[in-house]
Amino acid sequence: MSEAALADVKVLDLMWAIAGPAATRMLADYGATVVRVESTTRTDICRTVAPFHELPPEPESAVVFHNMNAGKRMITLDLATPAGREVLLDLVRWADVVTEAYSAGTMRTLGFDYEALRAVNPSLIMLSTCLMGQTGPLASYAGFGNLAHSITGFGALCGWPDRAPAGPFGAYTDYIAPRFSAAAILAALDHRRRTGEGQHIDLAQAEAAIHFLGPAMLDYTVNGRVWAAAGNADRDAVPHGVYPAAGDDRWVAIAVRDDAEFAALAAVLGDPALTRDPRFATAEARHAHVEALDAVVAAWTTARDPHEAEAALQAAGVPAAVVAGSADLCADPQLVHREHVRWLTHPTYGTTPVENARSRLSRTPAAVAGAAPTLGRDNHEVLEAILGYDADRITDLVAAGALG
Amino acid sequence: MLSPYRVLDLTRSRGHLCGQILGDLGADVVQVEPPGGAPTRRRGPYVDDVPHPDRSLEWWAVSRNKRGVTLDLERARGRELLRRMVATADFLIESETPGIQAARGLDYDALAAVNPRLVYVSITPFGQTGPKATWADSDLVLLAAGGPLRLAGDEDRAPLRVGVPQAYAHAAAEAAGAALVAHHERARSGRGQHVDVSAQQAVTLATQSYLLSSAIGFPDARRISGGVGMGPLSVRFVHPASDGHVSITFLFGSSVGPFTRRLMHWIADEGGCDAATRDKDWIRFFDQMFSGEESFAEVVRVQALVAAFTRTKTKAELLRAAVERDLLIAPVATTREVVESAQLAARDYWRELDHPELGRTVRYPGPFARASATPLRHRRRPPTVGEHNREILGGELGLDDADLARLAAEGVI
Repeated sequence: MSEAALADVKVLDLMWAIAGPAATRMLADYGATVVRVESTTRTDICRTVAPFHELPPEPESAVVFHNMNAGKRMITLDLATPAGREVLLDLVRWADVVTEAYSAGTMRTLGFDYEALRAVNPSLIMLSTCLMGQTGPLASYAGFGNLAHSITGFGALCGWPDRAPAGPFGAYTDYIAPRFSAAAILAALDHRRRTGEGQHIDLAQAEAAIHFLGPAMLDYTVNGRVWAAAGNADRDAVPHGVYPAAGDDRWVAIAVRDDAEFAALAAVLGDPALTRDPRFATAEARHAHVEALDAVVAAWTTARDPHEAEAALQAAGVPAAVVAGSADLCADPQLVHREHVRWLTHPTYGTTPVENARSRLSRTPAAVAGAAPTLGRDNHEVLEAILGYDADRITDLVAAGALG
Repeated sequence: MLSPYRVLDLTRSRGHLCGQILGDLGADVVQVEPPGGAPTRRRGPYVDDVPHPDRSLEWWAVSRNKRGVTLDLERARGRELLRRMVATADFLIESETPGIQAARGLDYDALAAVNPRLVYVSITPFGQTGPKATWADSDLVLLAAGGPLRLAGDEDRAPLRVGVPQAYAHAAAEAAGAALVAHHERARSGRGQHVDVSAQQAVTLATQSYLLSSAIGFPDARRISGGVGMGPLSVRFVHPASDGHVSITFLFGSSVGPFTRRLMHWIADEGGCDAATRDKDWIRFFDQMFSGEESFAEVVRVQALVAAFTRTKTKAELLRAAVERDLLIAPVATTREVVESAQLAARDYWRELDHPELGRTVRYPGPFARASATPLRHRRRPPTVGEHNREILGGELGLDDADLARLAAEGVI
């Protein structure tokens, strides 16, 4: 068995919510030692985000928090106390990487900006991630991923042409930025390994997320065209949509990319003559008569269980999938095969589910080391095993209120 | 940051963004395309709406900072040339349906025999193995299969995707990080490995952990237009403005409640609600709903007041107020407004690349991060079809002009 890929990487994680912690969760999955700092007075907002193990929620019941922070260590520190600040600086000396997701300027106010931290650890890599970046007129603009997806253009591109913008779901840019953050941290580690040089990385959630809208952005900068929301219509594929299935709020997604797939669809629908219908014979004709075509497809799907429809279409090579809810996902044979849902031992709930790593490495696979820390769980371990403090010093810290 | 490293990018349509991210970080990325160019080049929109493989904006969006060679991997001679390139490469990225590279003799095991240090990255719809490994896919199908699709859209209509494909962007960005995990390990062990990324798994992050709700007996989130339904609670984020829409995080608790309180004070100051509504305990409002002290219907009533208020303001007025009053409001911006954003201009975000073959320069989305010691740069515009055949196959593999002419005549390049 090989040593974990990132076994030699030490991360001090001052992030919260989703966009930041999802990046360090990935590092933890591959064996990095990640020490999060939380405060008992300003706990992670993820502790208040559904779904919950129980209602009304309490700080340890939020599955989002478990999912974003599995495999990490945590220490609670009150950075308003001099002793708490000293502990933080010792952790900075220990760390290869410091990550933070405060509003721009907050770390400076706290006295912990990059220059200050580099003074105690000259080769430090520090990643700051916030909504709009560390500079500019909106630098201090606070907000969550639902605001970032609106201000970066996703909202205007997810809706029906005759309705107000509808999506995307939740804090959408929070699911984009962590991938870029993880890649940037790992690339900076490589640079440091070769040169000894650390650096500060300013990653604006908005600026990273815009790369997921590239064609629409370029169509404006090149052709001056502004895209409008277009439901589920596709420029190329037709039929292309989400069709009703038997059952309450059940749906099947179908995407037909070429004539061959359309012939396969027609056969599954039991009407191979559709390919000779002049309204549907070519992609161009299908686009022109898309409403009539959608009605034909919907008449077939409406009468069928969505899983049955999915199986019949896929057996014929037509791209199709059940529009999966949580129960479908947890039972999905492919996700089960990938061991996507992992159950971890948890002190409050016995066990708690988290999602697995989203990549598989053949020789040094990811491993979720354990459940996310409950508040204060690892204080002694961090102080003793990582910082090497003795019992007297720890007692003093408790007395000084530093571990709050 | 990654300037010493060479990436061979074999992706045909799925996952081009992975190579671009590594290229943005400084790696030398060589896009290997079939003769005539990658299929992505045949998808619009095109420059001035003129269909041409060198004018596809879908291709441009994911191909800067790459060089390009054409190589027919269906032919033995093409595969042989690729193996010679693999011998000195650090990464290889591919996105074929599982089984195809093995049939060509270009799967991980075959290429690891050529170069044991190779980090070989596979980006596929559902992963390398499993009951759905060879299922047909598309952006919409993967968003359905991975969960986020069901959560977005209007409650009385079908679930909705974003109008720009997202699934492979998630998978490709995930793959870039995973490739660098393997790279980090290689620095210690001297050995490469196979990195297997599933787009279905990648998009599950966008369920915001609702994927797990049934496992703990919690109800699924419900899609409601421009918001989210959680059990009996319906939270609207999107509200009308006089010239479009804005998103407002209208929530409660110790972190977000203070923003809601400030918003309600502003609305009351302008006569949009009464003092009793303004002075509700927005910090403890969740707890009050669970205890029955406040009703779920009250949230709906107040959201209607918020909507009536925002409808009287422009998006710009609401954004200005958000900055001045510290509120959680953002415009639902069009692509035009994003490109013309003062914030992005102040950060010099958009970067121009010269396209001499078209006689114009083009503004591209800028660096995804600001790195103080090793800034991310836009070094190259996307390559035209076969642009670097001579440079790479000639200059680096040592083929002479006669060889290249013969390969072209045979359709290998």
